[in-house]
Amino acid sequence: MSYYFCIVGTQDQPLFELEFGTSKQGGDGVARFSQEARQMNPFIVHSSLDFVDELQWTNSQMYLKRVDQFASSHVSTFLTPTSTRFMLLHLPHPPNTAPQSTPSPNSFPPFTPYTSTPASTTTAGRSSSSSTTSIPNNPTSPQTEEAIRAFFGEVFEIWMKAIMSPFASVEGKLGSPVFRQRVVAAGKKYL
Amino acid sequence: MPSSPDHKRGRPSEIPEPQPPEHTLRSPRDSPSSSIPEFDTSISPPSFGSKTTLSSSETRLPITPPTSSISKSRSGSGLRKQSRDRSFASSRDTSPSIPLSDSNQECRQTIVRSFAPRVAVYASPDTEEFIRQKGFHGGLYTLLRPYGERLQGRVIIRDSVGSSKGWDDFGVRFINGQELQRSSARQVEGGSTDLETRSLPNGSQSLSEHRNRSRSDDFTTVIDRLLSQQLHTENAIFDSSKGDYFDYGGRSYEPRPAGSPLYPFYLRKLLSSAPIVPYETFSHPVACMITVSSRHPAPIEALRQLYENTCQGFNKTPTWISTEYLRYYVLIHDEENDDITKTTALFDLMKRHFGLHCHLLRLRSSQCVQTDDDSTRVPSSEWLSAEEEIKQIRSRDYTVDIEDSEKYILESDVTAIGALLREMVAQSIVPFMESRIMTWNDQVASRRRGFSGRFMSLSKRWTGFGSSKVAAFGPGGASTASGSNYDVQRGFYPPETPEAIMRQLADYAFLLRDWKLAHSTYDFLRTEFSHDKAWSYHAAVNEMVAITSLLMSQTYNLKYKMEAIDQMLDTAAYSYLTRCSMPSNVVRCFTLAIELLKNRGTLAADDAARLGGKLLDFGILDPVAQAMTSERIADCYMSRASVIVPNAGTRRRQAALWNILSADSWIKLDNPVQARLCLTEASALYRLRDQQIAGPPFLSMQGFWQKLDRALGEAHNAQSLVDTGVGAGHLEYSTIEETEQLSAFTRPVNAEVVDTEGFTSQDASRPHPNASYDTPLQRDSSE
Repeated sequence: MSYYFCIVGTQDQPLFELEFGTSKQGGDGVARFSQEARQMNPFIVHSSLDFVDELQWTNSQMYLKRVDQFASSHVSTFLTPTSTRFMLLHLPHPPNTAPQSTPSPNSFPPFTPYTSTPASTTTAGRSSSSSTTSIPNNPTSPQTEEAIRAFFGEVFEIWMKAIMSPFASVEGKLGSPVFRQRVVAAGKKYL
Repeated sequence: MPSSPDHKRGRPSEIPEPQPPEHTLRSPRDSPSSSIPEFDTSISPPSFGSKTTLSSSETRLPITPPTSSISKSRSGSGLRKQSRDRSFASSRDTSPSIPLSDSNQECRQTIVRSFAPRVAVYASPDTEEFIRQKGFHGGLYTLLRPYGERLQGRVIIRDSVGSSKGWDDFGVRFINGQELQRSSARQVEGGSTDLETRSLPNGSQSLSEHRNRSRSDDFTTVIDRLLSQQLHTENAIFDSSKGDYFDYGGRSYEPRPAGSPLYPFYLRKLLSSAPIVPYETFSHPVACMITVSSRHPAPIEALRQLYENTCQGFNKTPTWISTEYLRYYVLIHDEENDDITKTTALFDLMKRHFGLHCHLLRLRSSQCVQTDDDSTRVPSSEWLSAEEEIKQIRSRDYTVDIEDSEKYILESDVTAIGALLREMVAQSIVPFMESRIMTWNDQVASRRRGFSGRFMSLSKRWTGFGSSKVAAFGPGGASTASGSNYDVQRGFYPPETPEAIMRQLADYAFLLRDWKLAHSTYDFLRTEFSHDKAWSYHAAVNEMVAITSLLMSQTYNLKYKMEAIDQMLDTAAYSYLTRCSMPSNVVRCFTLAIELLKNRGTLAADDAARLGGKLLDFGILDPVAQAMTSERIADCYMSRASVIVPNAGTRRRQAALWNILSADSWIKLDNPVQARLCLTEASALYRLRDQQIAGPPFLSMQGFWQKLDRALGEAHNAQSLVDTGVGAGHLEYSTIEETEQLSAFTRPVNAEVVDTEGFTSQDASRPHPNASYDTPLQRDSSE
């Protein structure tokens, strides 16, 4: 699976964006979105805010689970008490492998969503062998749901610590490298 | 109505028993050795014997309209045929008419109108010769077709509960009888797809293979070819002077017109191109018109010959088409060469032989040109199937003179044809269908629906109650083993089985716009078909249940109902795709559902959009259809964008996303005009103008946005290059050429946008063209 994680402020502005891949099942923690898919991701996440806005009045939980699906990408959401939204887009695909075939012109969207080589070369690719619990590729399964819940919980904690800094604001961009490192670690731990 | 006096005068109020032909054939032109074709409505389904139509069941109301006269044509035979004199647009009709001309209503009307009874035309050779002289080379049905689509006046239809309703937009579709026989013969050769798919495992792998294999002869691919052809001509005639380069700063924003101009065209083609299949009877003929001209030396003989052609003989229609349709006999009188008194005598004779369903059509034989007095243009046919349209375009391209494409006809001929069609529809076809519905409903449907019917079918199914049980469990004896009427080998129900009849009953009710009866019948058939594992039937019936329930109730407040509809659509899609591999039907089914839902206002539009997403996810849409569907989804969300619904947010952001997606698809299809409209709309939805910001809300959206923007700019430049450079004659050709040159030139910069074959997987290790997009993430992750 490849993940695109985004923290969205109350004015729909992104405060933090991160792409990472799965570290379970021998994954190397590198996102494998194809070029087109990477470009579509923010659009998809932004559009599923519509559903988040609708769900927040009916669902009393902070973790809203899977709110939207676009083609093979799924979007899960965590809603903080200050209406900052954690959006996680997850694209299921087998780890470290290239897609089997080129898509037919009739498939939608008309591109392969993932590739074999990591899209962003800068993220360090270290193979982690800590695949004790495996998250199946099925994004609707309860295991995935639980893993994402744990991930969100940890990020929520990190995020609270980050915004409690007297120099940070809730609506400001989260540029701290420590925060980023911790989110990456959380992703590695749970996803 | 020029010919109706003759007709009225000649109509007997009581016709005696059908007599042997030797006694009745008194015409010197007739050979005495003929047997008169049975008047078709007297053929009753073999299993139900001869029960009268007018049963005393309390659900059936007497079919006599209060103000009309009944003439019983055949009291002696088992079934009675009621011939009512109906009037079009009668003032005494108090029924409500449909609300007209709401823009939202348009698609619904298109859908409703598209389901019209088919009339097969069988013409004698001399008739075809006569018509060809008039300048219609396609034969009689090409002459009649445009007029059949738009009947003048209102048609009054009584539904199963006895209330009558007038419809202004009722029509019939003429099809070529010979072609019907030919096309369906071809399908039979193709074999029953139902059977061969049965053996396939239901894995997705085999599914996609199967899909690819069967795609080539699908009607959606034909539609796609037609549409892309249309797109190119549209691009060629595009007037670039009024569409200046896309900028959201300078120009005032105008809301995009809902849907591309091609969309209604696409919808019509989708609805009119369905092939003739056993599992639904919409494309089966409801009636056939047997035509002979007064030139023929032995007209009665010719008519009889044609009649026999329709029900037996070498080139008969396939066995799954019921032969119990109405036969309508038309005698064409040549006004210029033939004697009217002789023709009238002949017509009287014809009526004596063939009963009431006869008409005398008086036409002039000479070809009409534009300069003649009172000549009118023959309107073009609205419901040409995609295949025919392509053929027509091609022939238009190859013929030298343009005059040939526009046909003219005399005003008097138009009125004569109009009168013929009015009389045929109002006095023969509609009453025929009504009486069929009534009979079937009484004798088949209510029996099956009742308690004993259920008990019988259950006991037949589960216990060895029937007699044919023993043949049982051999391979291929499966159909008899389950006690069903489904013919597994050939993959259809024979037309005389109760299941096939009920399907036809429901379809007739649907054609007569009695949604309620159609819905309940379809709903009942659902379980029957799934028990019999008749998957194509099952899928088709599920589709129709969903569509009728969407058509039926006007108010949208039932949330639970949507779930049921969803489920039925899913079942239909699953059966169509994995069991029968008929992706075109899925496209049709979902597109209809989307349109009907969208028609129901803002709340339902959400569901419509969801269905649209599902349809796209099936991966069966061709590129143009894909672009149009995503645009339609954007439309659905846009209707929600500005509306504040309590307990539900807006759909502004979804609408923006889908506008972007359709803009992308249109650029890939080389249609910058439509793409620009979509992108303008998206920028309005992202509130780019209000906030004075240069880009979309997320910084990482910039890359894609600029890419689209740049592609549009290039397309615009190409357009203006063409406009200044070349003459109008070469416009289309050079537009494509120029764009290709340009795209070849710019390909290293952004290959994904311009390259039409850019569906292949991208090599992501290539340096990214959009630095502005990649910087934030790269910088972030390097930290």
